[in-house]
Amino acid sequence: MTAAIAFEHQGALLMMSDAAKRATERDHVIAAQQGSETAFAELVRLHQRRAYAVARAIVLSHEDAEDAVQDGFLHAYRALDRFRSDQPFGAWLNRIVANAALDLVRRRKVRDADELPETFALPFRDPGEADELRTRLSEAVMHLTERQRSVIVLHDVEGFTHGEIGSMLGIPEGTARSDLHHARAALRRLLTDFRSNS
Amino acid sequence: MSDHLKLHDENDERITAGLRKLYAAPEGDAYWRSLEAQVLSRLTEPPTVAWWDELDHWMRPALVAAAVLLLATGVAMVRSYQAEQELAYEDMLTPTALPVETAVRPVLQGREGTFRYLMTKPPVNRTR
Repeated sequence: MTAAIAFEHQGALLMMSDAAKRATERDHVIAAQQGSETAFAELVRLHQRRAYAVARAIVLSHEDAEDAVQDGFLHAYRALDRFRSDQPFGAWLNRIVANAALDLVRRRKVRDADELPETFALPFRDPGEADELRTRLSEAVMHLTERQRSVIVLHDVEGFTHGEIGSMLGIPEGTARSDLHHARAALRRLLTDFRSNS
Repeated sequence: MSDHLKLHDENDERITAGLRKLYAAPEGDAYWRSLEAQVLSRLTEPPTVAWWDELDHWMRPALVAAAVLLLATGVAMVRSYQAEQELAYEDMLTPTALPVETAVRPVLQGREGTFRYLMTKPPVNRTR
């Protein structure tokens, strides 16, 4: 029942103007800073999809993306008193989630250092569903550097700007631009035969 | 033609579409409700501190302590060197009180006295 009310509320938020959304979000942030878990739950509801997209662009699997989202929200909750409510909450949260995802990637790298896989793991949730392009693409994506992969997904799939990506990944905007250029070039090269055959 | 435009020819659109499928977020409100519930349930967890976090927590005080120790050692070494230098300088300027030894002329005995007298006497100019 509570969830149904919450989703009705979310639907109402979707119909609001941008200014009204920002004002509502700011109210939620202020209430959450004053200790309201309900207000924070509202913020989670509003931002979890975008947070998932950010995390998913950085980590290698859906499960890791979920973990990074949870870690990110937890860190944001604990650091909420340091957030200035006149700034966009989404950008602040995305940076925290991106950091949580990068941290997860680093820990995985340390843990898996001795266990190099013979073949690349497919990042699909259901490998049985993969068609040829998806299979080839998932293999090609694994040939990119971690940062190139994150940048191309954040830009071409999620629509973030170079500046936003730079801010999230802690790199200069120019580096994000250059990574995107190299990632696209690498994907083109890796998928040349597929593209010419298709 | 820019890379952006190059990428977005027909084939590149397919690549972007493929990437979108590859990185698509799960669909269905049930999934997001469940994720939200997981996030909220973690808010009440007491913060767990891993050993590396604990080490990280002690890193700054340890670095400060090491820096203070290094500084103290440095200051002590400089002071010790300066003290040595001052001592050496003072030693150089202060006249040393050397012990005065009185020379005692030995009492010469008979023949030895005559011999020494003859040996020390200037030679006589015989050419005159």
